[in-house]
Amino acid sequence: MNISQTSLALQNLARRTFRTYSLLLAIAIVSGAIFSTSTLMWGVNNSLSKGLSKFGADLLVVPKGSMISMKSALLTGEPSLFYMEGGIMEKIAAIKGVKSVSPQLFLTSVDGNCCVMGNAFIIGFNPKTDFTVLPWLEDKKERPFQMDDVIVGAANSYNVGDTVFFYGQNLTVYGKLGRTGVGLYDNAIFMNIEKAYSMAEASHTLPGVAQLKLVRGHVSAVLVQTEVGSKLPFISFTISKDPDVKVITAGNIITSVRQNLVTLFGSTLVLSFVLILANALMISAIFSTIVNERKRELGILRAIGASKMSIFKLIVSEAAMLTSMGGALGVFLGIVIMRVYQRTIIFNLKELNMPYLWPAPFAVIMLASLAIVAAVVVGVAGAFYPALQGSRLQPYDAIRAGE
Amino acid sequence: MTTMIDINDVWKIYDVGGEKIEALRSVNLQIENGSFISIVGHSGSGKTTLLSILGGLTKPSRGSVKIDGTDIWNLNDRQLSAMRNRKIGFIFQFSSLIPTLRAIDNVALPVIYANGGGKTDRKATYEYAAELLSTLGLGHKLQSFPSELSGGQQRRVSIARAFINRPAIIVADEPTGDLDAQSESEVMEFFSRINEQDKTTFLLVTHNLALARMTDKVHTMKDGMINQNNGGSPA
Repeated sequence: MNISQTSLALQNLARRTFRTYSLLLAIAIVSGAIFSTSTLMWGVNNSLSKGLSKFGADLLVVPKGSMISMKSALLTGEPSLFYMEGGIMEKIAAIKGVKSVSPQLFLTSVDGNCCVMGNAFIIGFNPKTDFTVLPWLEDKKERPFQMDDVIVGAANSYNVGDTVFFYGQNLTVYGKLGRTGVGLYDNAIFMNIEKAYSMAEASHTLPGVAQLKLVRGHVSAVLVQTEVGSKLPFISFTISKDPDVKVITAGNIITSVRQNLVTLFGSTLVLSFVLILANALMISAIFSTIVNERKRELGILRAIGASKMSIFKLIVSEAAMLTSMGGALGVFLGIVIMRVYQRTIIFNLKELNMPYLWPAPFAVIMLASLAIVAAVVVGVAGAFYPALQGSRLQPYDAIRAGE
Repeated sequence: MTTMIDINDVWKIYDVGGEKIEALRSVNLQIENGSFISIVGHSGSGKTTLLSILGGLTKPSRGSVKIDGTDIWNLNDRQLSAMRNRKIGFIFQFSSLIPTLRAIDNVALPVIYANGGGKTDRKATYEYAAELLSTLGLGHKLQSFPSELSGGQQRRVSIARAFINRPAIIVADEPTGDLDAQSESEVMEFFSRINEQDKTTFLLVTHNLALARMTDKVHTMKDGMINQNNGGSPA
């Protein structure tokens, strides 16, 4: 191998293997923690923005006292049951600036019922007024949606064309939604709201079928779409005049999730930044030692023609190489750990009402690059002063050092 | 003949714990291009300090040093580094090899700083490095690390390194210090050959009077001052 400034730096790193590996590991731990934390936060945010953009509704009206249950249902897909009079829809539709309203009715399948997975979250919707389900079908049959059809979220194991059995009714899987990371859309099974009412009524007469108690005309939530340029706070305020309902905005949901996000990851991030600072100080101390150890060599390099800048670059490039390798190792370890524990991670996030969608490969590459760049910046910052000291050594004084 | 090195009223004063130590006192010396001279003197006489000042390694307290007409202490760091790289070859009185590099890499090392780190003919450099090491009897040690070489072999590697950029001046501080009599004689023959062939200027600093006598002119240093002698023997 022909000698170069880069190979010289690499050979210097290989000189003290224990010190180099220890430093590498310390940097890997910090950059791995930063990468993992930012990837998880990105995943939650990504899921929220993607899911809520698919949600399509500007406002969500639910019965008073069910706001927390609704948020939980929306974010995690855990079944929540609450009802109100459907007449509220007409009142909302009459408010100036409201473009359309569409009802949703929540019910669950019953555990132990024949041929049905227990506690599936079933949502009745009105295909004629819907603007939040049908537009997001990723896969569907080549025909219009019919009364005995259901649409399944991406997390369901059913495929288009499968038959599902709820409360004595055979239903066909008409389509499947794209994955959003928002529980309600990924886990629920959507059916025509009229079918849900008739299924409930039929369950009382069919032998051997669990009874589904629903009141025709009741709804669980009303989704509201407003006209472009309309004043959302005004509409929300007008709806809220009804004492029996509560209004949820997309902003409410994002805020509550982000609060959880900050609680969960805030301390990790703070710790990571403290570790970054500690790493920078450690690198600074170690490179000061390195410069001191190699005083004579630096003097010799100066004597054979290295400028101050060459010496500075040599020391800084050693730090940059070391920290970029440490950063890459940290990212690799972060990916491995997140993949190995992905089920646990997603389960724990859901427990905290945080939807999660793995970031797209491009986003992962970007976050990985940022983590590595951050590690390099820390390395360069840490080595900056020692490199400056090394470059400022008087050549002959440095050569005679240790004589 | 033109003047290659022109040292004019050079002083070097060290401040040691508040006490002023005059290591060099008004040194004046002109060395012609292609000269082969030596400086002898007792330890502490200032000869190594003089060598480091004319080699661009230590800044004088006063006076000027011109190399090939250029006042080197008026150059900026980049220019001075380039001057050291291209015009001056250093041979130090102690081991000056980089321990992580093989012998041939140590010899080729100055080339990475040639042309401001720009493009150089690496193949030709390595061929010349191998040739130099072979000439100095180390053709079988090209791939050895310094720790695998004896003191004398390390010295010969650093001698080879001084010649890699074909400098106009070689400054050598006790260049044969670790060598046995035969190696010393071979090295001096090598110096003479290069001096004659390439008209390289040699400036040797040594305690060894026998070695000094092999040069064309001997200067003596005492108490930071230099005495010029005409012959090949010191005063």
